[in-house]
Amino acid sequence: MRVGWFQNLSVSVRVPLVVAGLMVALGLVASQGVLAVLGNLQDARLREITRLHVEGLSVALGPFVPRQDVWEVYDVLDRAQQAGDGQRLLLTVVADGQGRVLAATDPHRAPVGSNIAPFLLEAAAPGDVRMTGDPVLRVAAPLMYQGRDVGRIVTELDVADLLAERRRVAYWLLFGNAAATALLGLAGWLVVARLLRPVGVLVQAMGGETGVPHAIPESRMPRGDPGLMRLFSTYNAMAAAAEARAEAERRLAARERFVSLGRLSSSLAHEINNPLGGLMNAADTILSYPDRPEVVRQSAGLIQRGLAHLRDVSRAILDQNRLDRTDQPLRPEDFEDLRLLFGPEAAARGQTLEWRTLADAEALGHHPAAPVRQVVLNLLLNAGGAAGQSGHVALEVCSDAQGLHLQVCDSGPGMAADDLARLMTSGPLPPGGGVGLRLVHDLVERLGGSIRHDRTPDRTVISVSLPAGRGADA
Amino acid sequence: MSPTRRAFLWSTVLVAAGMVVVRAATPFRFALTPVFLDNDAAVLSALRTALAYGIANEVELVQRRTYQEITGALLDGSVDAAWTCGYPFLQHRESLTILGAPVWRGQPRYQSYLIAAADDPATDLAGLAGGIHAFSDPDSNSGFLVTASDLGRMGQTPETFFARTIFTYGHRNVVRAVAGGLARSGSVDGYVWETLAEAEPALTARTRVVARSEWLGFPPFVARTDRLSEPGIAACRDTLLSLRQHSAGREALRLLRLDRVEPAEPGLYDGIAARMAEMGRLR
Repeated sequence: MRVGWFQNLSVSVRVPLVVAGLMVALGLVASQGVLAVLGNLQDARLREITRLHVEGLSVALGPFVPRQDVWEVYDVLDRAQQAGDGQRLLLTVVADGQGRVLAATDPHRAPVGSNIAPFLLEAAAPGDVRMTGDPVLRVAAPLMYQGRDVGRIVTELDVADLLAERRRVAYWLLFGNAAATALLGLAGWLVVARLLRPVGVLVQAMGGETGVPHAIPESRMPRGDPGLMRLFSTYNAMAAAAEARAEAERRLAARERFVSLGRLSSSLAHEINNPLGGLMNAADTILSYPDRPEVVRQSAGLIQRGLAHLRDVSRAILDQNRLDRTDQPLRPEDFEDLRLLFGPEAAARGQTLEWRTLADAEALGHHPAAPVRQVVLNLLLNAGGAAGQSGHVALEVCSDAQGLHLQVCDSGPGMAADDLARLMTSGPLPPGGGVGLRLVHDLVERLGGSIRHDRTPDRTVISVSLPAGRGADA
Repeated sequence: MSPTRRAFLWSTVLVAAGMVVVRAATPFRFALTPVFLDNDAAVLSALRTALAYGIANEVELVQRRTYQEITGALLDGSVDAAWTCGYPFLQHRESLTILGAPVWRGQPRYQSYLIAAADDPATDLAGLAGGIHAFSDPDSNSGFLVTASDLGRMGQTPETFFARTIFTYGHRNVVRAVAGGLARSGSVDGYVWETLAEAEPALTARTRVVARSEWLGFPPFVARTDRLSEPGIAACRDTLLSLRQHSAGREALRLLRLDRVEPAEPGLYDGIAARMAEMGRLR
């Protein structure tokens, strides 16, 4: 919207601007009022001049018009033109009852005997004359003598001076009001800005550039205003609480990586214990039959495979927790690691695990490894827990032009409302439960992606889309 | 002397004295016509002062709109003397006598001017046909008779020659009518036009003299012939003829742009009489 820039201004700027704007509007309304009054006064003055002029001429010309005394009519008009407000009266034309001009102050424009009709066009009655913006106004009136209508008087009035006066007043009003408005607007700005300075401090502390609320330093506390002081203190307490909570969430998130592995510990221990038993047996066999090379070779091969498996498991655990891998690009091997970590968990519950990674290495390389691994692992752990004994868990990874798509399905009974709130919203964490799903939400949000939750009668599907082009360093 | 005769003589003396007192209290009424710039208060004041200087009586200047009104007042005795035009003088020649004739630019004569707007292309009377014409007064020589008789010589009358004629009852008004564009042309006293050219050059500059008449007798000062013997009339004549001999008179002459007033005979107005005769024959 066009007012977006205005809304983006701080309150301490917006309010003074609005005050200044209102003052400008007030100035305009006041100026308009003054001009309207001036216009009315000028119209009244004009009507009075016209009325006096016409009435005076009627009295003076009355006897001469019925007699068609051209000279006397001219003489009266000429002398009236010279005297008094003659400069305003540009032209006066007098006609007899038949509309023939008897005389005019300018006989060249209205020759004796010509028709007065052209002069009656656009002529107003003396009582209706008003300023129209035209510097010359035309007024027509009947010429009455002894109660009879004996002719017509048409007068052209020069109102250029009145128009100029109006313009002059308008300019002065504009100038004066602009100066007064600017002065008052500035004063209003300063006063309101000073009044709102604490609000500005508060707004700055609440959002600022980082969007993270922070406490207001002691030096900026409004000590002179007990009410605001209380407000600021309360805000500082709330900001401290929010900071503590954010810190707690950060710690929880950091710990979540270990927590998720912790949740896998028993199955991983089993995964380590199984080959260990085989290794012990192989070692015993070697010790029992040292002189049988084929037995020793076979046992050594068994030991080698067992150790290789242990090496893979330990590497997967290390990779999951190594902080220096946070900026590494995602690889197909990361999904193999995740399968290695989660597979025993699923197997321990007798679950069937469907694992499809369709995205190639190049598509995966556009995304950072650590957060994606954490997202997938947490979703898998959640799905495994929901699917229960002998359930079904599936992971599908694919990519297209829009980016990387991860989909985790389970055959569980569906997500509880609190879990769904953790996964889908940024609101306060519901009491109880872990922060694994919230961590998924925060990581996906940080990666610019989106999460979708679908529930069919027997399946829960969580789909995560991560946009392409954010790079591994996102 | 019997008491009755003495009483009669005393009463006669008292009545005569009373008549003198009444006579002295009655102002001398001097009529003016639009023959000159009768709108100039300074001229009127100077003329009244000059006349009062010689008449030794209060002088009342009487102004009327038309020659006809002035002539009527003169004939019925409402005024004692008048400065009128040669044309009305000749119209009542048997009743009026010339007290004196003003001398302007060295002679007791003037001309009638035919004027038009400064930018009018007309070069003579014929070129002004079909326009509106301003006359001064139907009893004025320069302001009517000259142009009317000229038209008569052309076989025309003002009504047929011009689209419209208007009478302004003042030579200055004729100039105003032409200068203002009300009339295309006008007939005006040459003396008045020349005097206006000095006093109000902006007004006459908007007009142009198209034609000048022959020299004709200057408008005279007249009184009723049967009252010439009255002391006031005689004093008036003496005063007019001796204006140059006192400062008040000289000031009046200066303002009127006249040289002096000199005795004149009716023959001075033969030119006007000839035009009157022409007009009479046309009727």
